[in-house]
Amino acid sequence: MSTSAVHLINLTKQYPHSTKPAVSNLTLHIPEGAVYGLLGPNGAGKSTTVMMLCGLMRPDAGTVNVLGMDMQEQSVEIRKKIGVASQDIALFPTLTAYENLFYFGRMYGMSGSMIRQQIDKYLHVFGLTEKSKKIVHTFSGGMKRRLNLMAALLHQPKLVILDEPTAGVDVQSRNMILDFLTLLKSEGTTIIYSSHVLEEAERICSHLGVIDEGKFITEGTLVDIMNTHSDCQSLEQLFLKLTGKNIRD
Amino acid sequence: MKTLATIYKEFLLLIRDPGGLALIFIMPLALVMVMALVQDAPFRDYQEIKLDVLFVDQDGDSLSAKVKQAFDASPNVNLVVKTDTTEAKQLVRSGAFKAAIVIPAHSSETLREKTRQLIVEVFSNFGLTEAPKDSVDLAAIGIKVLFDPAIKSNYKQTLTGGIQKIVAGIQAEWILDELQNQLSEGRSDVKKTPVNLTEIIQVNEQYASEKKYEGLMLNSVQHNVPAWTMFAMFFILYPLAGNFIKEREEGSMLRLRLISGSQFPVISGKFAFYFLVCLLQFVLMIAVGIYIMPLLGLSKLVLGTNIIGILLVACSVAMAATGYGVLIAVYFRTPQQALSFGSVSVVILSAIGGVWVPVYVMPEILQTLSRFSPMSWGLEAFNDLFLRQASIQTILPNVLRLTGFSLVALFISVIIHKSRTIL
Repeated sequence: MSTSAVHLINLTKQYPHSTKPAVSNLTLHIPEGAVYGLLGPNGAGKSTTVMMLCGLMRPDAGTVNVLGMDMQEQSVEIRKKIGVASQDIALFPTLTAYENLFYFGRMYGMSGSMIRQQIDKYLHVFGLTEKSKKIVHTFSGGMKRRLNLMAALLHQPKLVILDEPTAGVDVQSRNMILDFLTLLKSEGTTIIYSSHVLEEAERICSHLGVIDEGKFITEGTLVDIMNTHSDCQSLEQLFLKLTGKNIRD
Repeated sequence: MKTLATIYKEFLLLIRDPGGLALIFIMPLALVMVMALVQDAPFRDYQEIKLDVLFVDQDGDSLSAKVKQAFDASPNVNLVVKTDTTEAKQLVRSGAFKAAIVIPAHSSETLREKTRQLIVEVFSNFGLTEAPKDSVDLAAIGIKVLFDPAIKSNYKQTLTGGIQKIVAGIQAEWILDELQNQLSEGRSDVKKTPVNLTEIIQVNEQYASEKKYEGLMLNSVQHNVPAWTMFAMFFILYPLAGNFIKEREEGSMLRLRLISGSQFPVISGKFAFYFLVCLLQFVLMIAVGIYIMPLLGLSKLVLGTNIIGILLVACSVAMAATGYGVLIAVYFRTPQQALSFGSVSVVILSAIGGVWVPVYVMPEILQTLSRFSPMSWGLEAFNDLFLRQASIQTILPNVLRLTGFSLVALFISVIIHKSRTIL
C-alpha cells in the first residue's frame, strides 16, 4: 500500500438541529501524489469533509490523518503543509495582486526574498506579471480565480485542496489552471479537487470518490471506477447513474 | 513580523477607503467643532452669565444710585436705564430684556426715615433718648423685579439674590450711618467714620488650581474636545468591525484561519493599527482644540502641565476603544448587526459617560450609571489633568479601569473567536 497523504477513518459529523449526519462513517485513503476528485451533488457532505480535513471543524467521531500527522494533535503542523483555495475569492479586494500575495506569504512565515521569488514565479506561470500592481477589485473573474489559487500555493504545500477552482472563469483561464494542476501533479504534490465540472475531474484526476448523503457510493482510481461501470461512456453518465437525476437543494 | 505585516495591510486598506478615512478623521473634527460651538452658549449660561437688565429709577436718590453702582460693577449684569415703567414692562414681556428692576419713587427717603425710626426706637429702649411721639408707620419699600416668563430659573435666582444682597448691604450701611448721626447729637466737631461693609468681609472666588492656570474652568472647549475625541475614538469600531466582518464574509479571514499561527498576529495587528489610529485622532482633535477653536471665537484648549499623564490617558482610552471594537467585530456575524449595535452602544455609553452634557447636571440615576461607562472614566481623567493639573497617581485608577476594560474585551473576543474556529 502506498504512503497516505490523507487517511480518514470512520469520520462522522452531524450538525446541531439536523436529523441526519452530514458525514457518516466516512473512510478514505488518498495516496501521496494523487489528484483526488471529491465529487457529489449539493449537500452530499463534500464541504463538511473538506472542513474536517483542514482542521476547520471537529468531527463527532473518527480520525483525520494528514501527511502522516493526526489532526487532533498536530493541526498546527498540518496546516503549515496544506494549501486551500476555497470557492470564495479569499483576497483583499482593495490591495494589489502583489500586496495580497506578499501579505499571505508573510502570514505563512516566509522570508521576504522567498516570498518575492515565489510571487514572481507564480505571476509568470499564471500570466499576471503585468497586472501585479493593479488593485484586485479591478480584475476579471478569471484573474481573481488565478490569484486565489496562487495565494494557496505560495508556501509550496504538500497537499493542495481546491474547491471549485475554475468556477466562473473563461475557457482560457480554466485551461491555464488545469494545465498548471497537471504540472503540480507531475511534481508530486497531492491534490484534492472538488468540483461539479466532471469533465475537468476526468481530465486531471487519478482517483475519484463520489459522495452522497455523507457516504461514499464509489471510490477508487478513475480507471478502476470506469471499468467497473463500463456501461457509462463518461464520468457525467456515471455520476447521474450513481446519484440519480433528482434535483438537490 | 506577521503582526507588522498585518499593521501594514490594515494601513493600505484604510488609505484606500475614502469613506473610512472620512469617518475616522474628518467627521470627528467637524463634530468636535460643531459641538463646541453649539454648546458654547449653554456653558456660558452656567458660568459666564451676562444679563441685559432694564433699570427704572423712579427714586432718583441715593438708594437707586447705590443699587445702580453695585450692578454696574457686576460682571454678570448689563444695566440699561429706562424711566418709564410701562415701557420697561413691555420690553420684558416681549422678551427683548430678561428682567427689569424698578426702584419706586421716594425709596431713599423712606429707607432713611425707617432707619432713623429704628435707631431712635433702639436708643429710647436703652433710655438714651425720649420715645418718639410722632412716629409714622411707613410701608416697606417695594423694589420690583419684573421677569420675562421664559427666563431660566438660575438667572432669576442670580438676579434676585444679587438685589437682596445689595439692598441688605445698603441697609446695614445706612443703619450704621444713622447710628453715628444719633450718637453725635448734631455736633459738627465729631468725625464720622465712612461706612463700607465690603471692606470688613470680602468673599474672593478662586479655583483650586495652580497659579498659572488660575481662572481656568470647564468651558465648551475644555469639555467638548476631550469628550468628543473619546466619542470619535470609540467610533473606531465602525471601520474595525466593518473590515473584520467583510474579511470574514469575503473569505480572506478563512484563508488566514487556515494558516497556522496566524490568529494572534491577525488580531494583534488589527488591534495595534487601530490603537495607533485612535492616538492619531486624539492628536488631531487636541490640535483642533488648541489652534482652530480660537479662530472660531472659542476658548483655546488648555492641556495643563502633565503631558505624560495625558499620553497615559490617551493610550488607555485608545486601548479601551479598540478592545471594544474588536469585541463587537468578533461577536456579531453580520456588518448590519455589528454596526447598528456598535454605534447605538457608543452613543449610549457617551451619553451616560458625560460626553453630551457634564455628568454633574444629570439626574442622580444617570450619575450612578455613568460610573460604568469607560467614556466617563476617560473624561474624568482628562478633566483631572486639564483643569486640576492632577498627578499620575490621581488619574491612575481611571487609567487602570480603561486598560482593564480593554483587556477584558480582548479576552472575551479571543474566547469567542476560538470557539468559532478550528480544532
